[in-house]
Amino acid sequence: MGTTRIKNNRRKFFQTSAALLGGTIMYSLIKPFEALSQPQTEDIKENKEDLPLWGMGVDIESCIGCGKCAEACKIENNVPKEPFYFRTWIEQYTVKNDGEVKIESPNGGIGGLQQSVPDEDIFKSFMVPKLCNHCTEAPCVQACPVGATFISPDGVVLVDDSYCIGCSYCIQACPYGARFMNPITKVADKCTFCYHRISDGLQPACVEVCPTDARIFGNLRDKKSDLVKFLQKNPTQVLKPHLNTHSRVFYNGLSSEVR
Amino acid sequence: MEEHYQHLYQALSQVEGYIYPNDIDLHWGLMIVLYPYITGLVAGAFILASLERVFDVKVLKPTYGLALLTALAFLLVATLPLVSHLEHPLRSYEIFMTPNSTSAMAIFGFVYLWYLMVVLLLEIWFDYRRDFVLWSKTSTGFKKLFYKVITLGINDTDEKSVKLDDKLGYFITVLGIPSAFLLHGYVGFIFGSIKANPWWSTVLMPVIFLFSAMVSGIALVMVIYMVVCWIRRVKIDMPALDTIAKYLFYILIIDFTLESLDQIHRIYEAEESFDIIKVLVGGKLNITLLFMQVILGTLIPLAVIGLFQVYKPSEKIRKIAYLVVGILVLVGIFFMRWNVVIGGQLFSKSLSGFTSFNAVYYGMEGYLMTAIWLILPLGILAFLLWLMPPWKKIAAH
Amino acid sequence: MAKIIFRLFASFVVFVGVFILIQQSLIPDSFGKYGHYRANSIEDNKISSSFYKGEKECTSCHQDLYDQKDSDLHSNVRCESCHIPKIDVFTDCEVMPPIVEGTNDFCAACHATNPGRLKKGVPQLDFKEHEPDKKCIECHNPHAPWELLE
Repeated sequence: MGTTRIKNNRRKFFQTSAALLGGTIMYSLIKPFEALSQPQTEDIKENKEDLPLWGMGVDIESCIGCGKCAEACKIENNVPKEPFYFRTWIEQYTVKNDGEVKIESPNGGIGGLQQSVPDEDIFKSFMVPKLCNHCTEAPCVQACPVGATFISPDGVVLVDDSYCIGCSYCIQACPYGARFMNPITKVADKCTFCYHRISDGLQPACVEVCPTDARIFGNLRDKKSDLVKFLQKNPTQVLKPHLNTHSRVFYNGLSSEVR
Repeated sequence: MEEHYQHLYQALSQVEGYIYPNDIDLHWGLMIVLYPYITGLVAGAFILASLERVFDVKVLKPTYGLALLTALAFLLVATLPLVSHLEHPLRSYEIFMTPNSTSAMAIFGFVYLWYLMVVLLLEIWFDYRRDFVLWSKTSTGFKKLFYKVITLGINDTDEKSVKLDDKLGYFITVLGIPSAFLLHGYVGFIFGSIKANPWWSTVLMPVIFLFSAMVSGIALVMVIYMVVCWIRRVKIDMPALDTIAKYLFYILIIDFTLESLDQIHRIYEAEESFDIIKVLVGGKLNITLLFMQVILGTLIPLAVIGLFQVYKPSEKIRKIAYLVVGILVLVGIFFMRWNVVIGGQLFSKSLSGFTSFNAVYYGMEGYLMTAIWLILPLGILAFLLWLMPPWKKIAAH
Repeated sequence: MAKIIFRLFASFVVFVGVFILIQQSLIPDSFGKYGHYRANSIEDNKISSSFYKGEKECTSCHQDLYDQKDSDLHSNVRCESCHIPKIDVFTDCEVMPPIVEGTNDFCAACHATNPGRLKKGVPQLDFKEHEPDKKCIECHNPHAPWELLE
């Protein structure tokens, strides 16, 4: 009596599973046909050479630490005004006569960096703007478990807001501290080279407002661009080259104290 | 939101040195300390069980079933701290749909499913199948229904089917050992592969995680075995307990050697990150690392069990000692995870400054949540022990 | 003997099969086109309103001020460096223009003495010593700063 009952239950189990399985198979067969009937999304040019490869140059010898870039970035990209979230920021390095290096970036430099060490103690001082380096071998892209952050065909590291699960692994993986968790959208956020602007022929907001042209944005593939000329004229370095991230933000005047 | 900002303003006022502005907040908190801890307990408990099954350490037989059920109880809870931590938990299915082959974290879903279903559940099923059939005949109500369903219609209880169960169970256990290594080893790789963080980035990280996992799992089974025997008012099998303590001792030696090797290597090479790490270990981590993890969690247990290898005091003293040592090890390994996860975020990537960790009591990342995720598996274990008591198994031969 | 093994193996295969089918139906359509990401996200990232319009937009109405700026030392400073296009929700050139307050703190952001600014072509001064009781714009026309007023 016990075994016949079990046999019935098993039959029902197999019937339900078969129905579910069959339904799923039917659905997955129909779905590709559905895709054909939808209009195709605009295709990006297949030929890689036609696409720009975006990069940025930073001239430390020109930067005065006025903070306008950091402020403009927050406004342009709706970044919360609190001093915990920065897509770009400026650091002031003050090398003292005794060799000690003081680094500071109060509110990311917004409002202008101010002198905090008396003149007589200072050996030298300079300002260093920082931002996402849009690495060609980005460790953040490597780390994302779901594919929510990626390098676009034109070389910009972007975040897919609707796909990010908020695990923060990419934030841990970035050696430059360029990423943060946006408290409002609750996804990873960072500098996008103002992708919405550069795709329209405009400059990123930070480049637009810099009064001393310390930031140079351009297409690395365009031999006539300001950026390529900047790279040709100056001995440039990238941050943390030992990590081999193939960063595409190039600094002129980078001193060894810079972290 | 306001509370979150207040929390951050407080952290901002406690910053030492220079931190990258975005490094103010610790993105991985108590939940991410818990996840490796729990999967470590699972892997360790399973390895202890496999010592009996595969390596034929017969003296451990009284703890075999208990170790398996402990592993299962904790494995069922393992995903929950991760889900508490995600900002978009409803999107977590994406890890199954589009796992990024370059990301260590993406293995999580698959290795977890594999280990739960193919290894653990199957092994338990093979071990208990005959008992389920026999128990279904003598029980009533929920238990009877459960036993009937779980046998999946395979009701043979003869000698041949028992031998088959045994053989298949053995095969699954052999498969399970590397699976357990993968289940916890990949967590070590998640940290060890981050070149951006010098506290995490070391080749030894997966191995250290593995051995500390085995230590914690063995200690857990040891403590639970003692507690369960006490609750059941049953005599503890001292040879089994002594053997468990002996294995704990050996693996703790390996674990301590590996961790010391990591630190000695750091101190000797003294490369770029050493200056800040030196301050980290001597300062913010001095209690959690030097006192809790090393002294309480490693050196005292090593000294006590090591002593017992040469001089064995009375059973009563040994029992108390094992209980205390087991708890010390469990606490010590928890702090090892703490030191890795939280320690690695206390210093900025600028290698020039520190932020601070201010834990909260409530909310998805608080102490209360941590306590819940640690007590829940014990509740599940109690339920499993009621449902499938290993001591009520009917011996075949 | 074969019964158990066959059934277990078969259920494993079925499970994997169902999993793959579900996966195929849940993965977003544009995923994988250019890499391991949702290709439509490239377009999604382009959708955002720009607040900074660029100097060309300003000169469409304020050519005179632009020419004045161009004749003096602030010629390299673009309009929106100082005239932030979004001071509050009401900022809109035609309705409520982004007026600069012209406080000393505002000008100090670029012009306050700071050893990090030496020899970069920007005049530096100690705001506590240079006319601390006046606002900068009382004497300096911001569009022609060396043309001193009064």
